[in-house]
Amino acid sequence: MSLDQFWHYAPSLLSGFGVTILCWAVGSTLGLILGFAIALLRRLEIPPLNGLLRAFIELFRGTPFLVQLFLIYAGGPSIGLRLSATAAGILGLGLYASAYFAEIFRAGFAAVPAGQIEAAASVGMTPFHTMLRVTLPGALIAAVPAIVNMLIILTKETVVLSIITVPELMYQVQTMAAETFTAFDAIFAMAVFYWLLIEAVSRLGSQVETRVTAFLAHEARA
Amino acid sequence: MKPEVILHSFGYLTQAAGTTVAVSFAGIAFGFVIGALVCVARVSPRPWLRRLGAAYVSVFRGVPLLVQLLFVYYFLAKYGLDVPAIVAAVGALALSSAAYQAEILRGALNAVPRGQGEVATALGFSGLDIWRRVLLPQALRISTPPLINEFILLIKASSLVSVVGIAELTRVSMNIATQTYRPLEAYVGGGLFYLAINLCLAGLGAVAERRLAGAGGR
Amino acid sequence: MSAPMIELAKVSKSFGANQVLRDVDLAVQRSEVVCLIGPSGSGKSTLLRCVNFLEPYDSGDLRIDGRLIGYEDVAEGTRRPMAARTLREMRREIGMVFQNFNLWPHMTALSNVAEPLRRVRKLASREAADRAMAMLTRVGLAAKADAYPSRLSGGQQQRVAIARALAMQPRLMLFDEPTSALDPELVGEVLEVMKSLAAEGMTMLVVTHEMGFAAHVASRIAFIDEGRIIADGPPRRVFHESPEPRVRQFLQTYQDRNSF
Repeated sequence: MSLDQFWHYAPSLLSGFGVTILCWAVGSTLGLILGFAIALLRRLEIPPLNGLLRAFIELFRGTPFLVQLFLIYAGGPSIGLRLSATAAGILGLGLYASAYFAEIFRAGFAAVPAGQIEAAASVGMTPFHTMLRVTLPGALIAAVPAIVNMLIILTKETVVLSIITVPELMYQVQTMAAETFTAFDAIFAMAVFYWLLIEAVSRLGSQVETRVTAFLAHEARA
Repeated sequence: MKPEVILHSFGYLTQAAGTTVAVSFAGIAFGFVIGALVCVARVSPRPWLRRLGAAYVSVFRGVPLLVQLLFVYYFLAKYGLDVPAIVAAVGALALSSAAYQAEILRGALNAVPRGQGEVATALGFSGLDIWRRVLLPQALRISTPPLINEFILLIKASSLVSVVGIAELTRVSMNIATQTYRPLEAYVGGGLFYLAINLCLAGLGAVAERRLAGAGGR
Repeated sequence: MSAPMIELAKVSKSFGANQVLRDVDLAVQRSEVVCLIGPSGSGKSTLLRCVNFLEPYDSGDLRIDGRLIGYEDVAEGTRRPMAARTLREMRREIGMVFQNFNLWPHMTALSNVAEPLRRVRKLASREAADRAMAMLTRVGLAAKADAYPSRLSGGQQQRVAIARALAMQPRLMLFDEPTSALDPELVGEVLEVMKSLAAEGMTMLVVTHEMGFAAHVASRIAFIDEGRIIADGPPRRVFHESPEPRVRQFLQTYQDRNSF
């Protein structure tokens, strides 16, 4: 591929990357909020609700992401849900992520030693305050590495969105490859790009992990 | 919603489920062999081998599976001699899974208490015997639950090989969707089959974990 | 008089900048039972682990029945690390019992004892199994031969560990705090086995906190503090007549805690 050709496609590649970031950011946020909500609701331990929530988690963790996307994008219209590819992609990513984040937060809550809760109770702290100053910070600290790990996994999952024609980076690269007959080179470039991206994000993630953990630990002590 | 659609396609879906399990199993089996080699490289006393192993894990965990799959597919198309798509599919799954399995095995080796090997050394065991009779059996036991989990992940990952035309669950669901004009039922059907497979595997994993915590575990 | 079974001459060892053993001299004669006592961090375990070279020592001579272990003298004044195979051969003659037993969890009690006989002494399965059974009987656990370690109490596990070491027919036995990880009621059964070994004339070097055992079974007590042996003699002398202030201080805390 000549440089001229590449420049011709540069804008679409850039826009594709933008869509990737958009999907990842909105999807992850949706997943985190929903996942956290689910984890909190499960702590209430209301049997019918718990059963429903567990079923939700098992569903989204037990089936492939691609099938979930097809269900939302292609199957959605049958129940009145007509979404654009991008909207379906973001919703799909968000729901998929929420199931995993729900489990991550659950594990985080479980990681808070029972002794700490007991200590708070023994000095007469209200349940609300115990949750705010002891349980929550402890759970979040414990969950940070797993959250960072999941966010990195979600970055990789965005390429699956290309299969339901979301115009993210992978989709644009494949379009370019098809039009210029450079399939192999394009895929190779994608592989290298994503490897570098993930490496960079992983390192960034470790740093964020350390900072956030320190911050939360400070908050819990204050 | 018309559940009859799922019932009518039951045969196709079952066959496709078999393909999914077969492809995933082949992927994890080859992945185990490659992963074991990578793990050995990772814990080798030679620095260059360690770096090679680390690089492998970094690349094959960093690049998204879909990209790896298409890469293998186009690579074989360009340089290979007319190899069926299934080879690309299983190959890509194996190479990818190997990176994760290498880390699982490495973690398991680290989890074997130091004293286990120490007492063998004190008794005069040779290095090879320490590996064969003490470290390896225990590392394999410890890694069984995470490996079963890896199998579950591979079952889900195998849905991507639908893009290279393999007639596994996802592709067959797509076919049913286009033929019956009922995408909702088609994908619900496919999803249910995936769930069934994964629930069985999860049950297997729970049994394995309990067994290992009992006799032989400490 | 033959060479001591274990002889340390000016043995020193450091972990990085931390010197753990300083010019240690110690001799254990044939059939002697020497108990190593001292505060934690004094270097007693390290000393014991140097005897079978699980920890390499930095300088000095450590001899087993007259033979240098861990190093080979090359020329006058220089030495090189001992060949792996030679070291393994020497280790066959040294039995070691660890604080946390280190039984192999994926093998039965019998297999634990038989495995070294098969792999190291290269005995046939049948012969190894017979000898293993004899050893388990010796420590009173014949009935538990087919049990896995997870089903045995701590005291039983430690006795199996002793049987495993004994089955190799070592010339001497090293014990690294053999009862420290046990519940108090289970300590007795292990000490009984050790007592019977001593009565049979086994050479033993024991790191322990069990002062009663040390007082009644040991031929000698060696008190180690900060890497140096500051008292070495019969139990009576060390326990009751030692002029060393550190020794008296250490023993005093024992008496305070253990009398009621």
